[in-house]
Amino acid sequence: MRKMNFIIKHALTGVFLAAFLLLAAYQPSAAQTVYKGGKAPAGESNGPLRVIVIGAHPDDAEGRAGGTAALWASLGAKVQFVSVTNGDAGHQSQGGGALARRRAAESRRSAKILGVSWRTLDFHDGELVPSLEARSAVIRAIRDWKADIVISHRPNDYHPDHRYTGQLVQDAAYLVIVPNICPDTPRLEHNPVFMYSADRFRKPYPFIPDVVVDIGAVIEKKIAALAEMDSQMFEWLPWIGGRLSNVPEGKKERFEWYRQRRFRARKGRENSYYEQVAARYGKARAQGVQFVEAFELCEYGRQPDREELWELFPK
Amino acid sequence: MQKRFFSAGFPLSNILRTTLLLVLLTGIAGAQTVYKQGKAPAREGEQPLRVIMVGAHPDDSEVKGGGTAALWAEQGAEVMLVSVTNGDAGHQSQGGGALARRRAAESRRSAEILGVSWRTLDIHDGEVVPSLRAREAVMRAIREWQADIVISHRPNDYHPDHRYTGQLVQDVAYMCAVPNLCPDTPRLEKNPVFMYFADRFKKPNPFVVDVAVDVDRVMDKKWGSIDAMESQMYEWLPWVAGYLDEVPKDKAGRFKWLKEWRGPRMLGWTDRGRDILINRYGKEHAEQVKFAEIFELCEYGHQPSHEELWELFPK
Repeated sequence: MRKMNFIIKHALTGVFLAAFLLLAAYQPSAAQTVYKGGKAPAGESNGPLRVIVIGAHPDDAEGRAGGTAALWASLGAKVQFVSVTNGDAGHQSQGGGALARRRAAESRRSAKILGVSWRTLDFHDGELVPSLEARSAVIRAIRDWKADIVISHRPNDYHPDHRYTGQLVQDAAYLVIVPNICPDTPRLEHNPVFMYSADRFRKPYPFIPDVVVDIGAVIEKKIAALAEMDSQMFEWLPWIGGRLSNVPEGKKERFEWYRQRRFRARKGRENSYYEQVAARYGKARAQGVQFVEAFELCEYGRQPDREELWELFPK
Repeated sequence: MQKRFFSAGFPLSNILRTTLLLVLLTGIAGAQTVYKQGKAPAREGEQPLRVIMVGAHPDDSEVKGGGTAALWAEQGAEVMLVSVTNGDAGHQSQGGGALARRRAAESRRSAEILGVSWRTLDIHDGEVVPSLRAREAVMRAIREWQADIVISHRPNDYHPDHRYTGQLVQDVAYMCAVPNLCPDTPRLEKNPVFMYFADRFKKPNPFVVDVAVDVDRVMDKKWGSIDAMESQMYEWLPWVAGYLDEVPKDKAGRFKWLKEWRGPRMLGWTDRGRDILINRYGKEHAEQVKFAEIFELCEYGHQPSHEELWELFPK
């Protein structure tokens, strides 16, 4: 009996010790970790890495970071897409609450495909201004998600909602750790890393790709997620672009039409990131990389060095 | 005079139609026509080209774009000058509604000299902020004029009214084509070309000359239109700059003084635009140009090539 106890005791100690060692080896401190074993690094709270992508409209986060988000999600990171506006102006013949509800449903289907969660801050489409009200809503969303990484627009882009979303998120960088601001929502203990998604605008200065992500492995997922946004991909965007008559009738046909367009449109543009892709993935792999998402580090918020930044993003 | 060329039956409209067809056949879509025969290019359906200049105050568009406006008007284009504010703070001893009415009267005389239309959005001088209400007023003005080209300030300039006017106009680029915004005013079917007036500011980015226009031919009109702004040219601006006592009392004397005072600044635009003038007019002509006006293409809105852009502006 006593012998048994001794054995059990030591066995248990051994198990605990092994577990402890395993944990110690496995649970590294915040950002020093790597994507070894196909896992996203831990976040500041030592749970999974938490990422929030804040777009102006339902489809912005998906379009600019959908591939990276799907990769992160598959590696165990927790990703949330936020649409600051509810998208209630983005249609030629529909609008208001009915359109907002339709786009929310589309966005949820899309998020499911990518493996992320979704919410909207419910501001009117086309009417976003950098108000305190909107800033507080953005601060609360970032805090609610306990984000380690925040991705949004740059404050220069063709659409004022994009510009002001970028400005609002910049305004939240730093304030998310100040407890007296939005005191109803617990502050973040660590300032997140703030990133910009890519755009083509040059003034006052062009986008700088600080991180590039090869999204070839999840491109079909990204396209499928975007194609869930019927109201946009098959109705509004073709209409405002003056090519609505090009959209095929059948569901399968229009999906294939859209897929081909994405393949054609993306290819040329992403070659411009070849240098950055080669730097992160090596020349041999870079040759074959077709689809890339790129991000720029915002000067506000936590400032990781390049090595650390590259470890945070999926590879 | 030139406007009559657009009426049916005049042989030139047939030439124009043939030219249009040829250009279309060669596959150059968009701003097809040319300034041949001293005519402004037509928009679709051979309607005259429509231009709107959105300045912050009564006198901004006149000083920075008055010559180009006069040339356009002579060549058959329809030009509207808009003052976002009514100018009711721009005087040392007058103000309010009385000053606003005085400046509206001056602006109408000035517009008559240039051969253009004029209106104000009637916002208080010195109180322009990039509010939704102001944005909607700008959007309606641009839509009502059915503008092909919109010219305004850059969002960096010494006067906040200039900066916010620039921002408001930028915020309307793209939105003027979205039917769910300001649904009371029919949307523009084509996003206009958006341009900036010249300024001397370097931060965050300096003004870039994309178009230069030789305005020597219409300088009498331009000087006349500026001379019509008595409250500004002979009262407020000299007063605020501290040399009111230099202004001659008699009309001929003060007009001469005005040219000596304002002329040198305008010569600076010619120097900055010289390379583009050489490209547009040829070296020999360009070297003779005394007064030019210069404009920068905004990244938002329709993006014509340089050649296409140069065809849109008077020559």
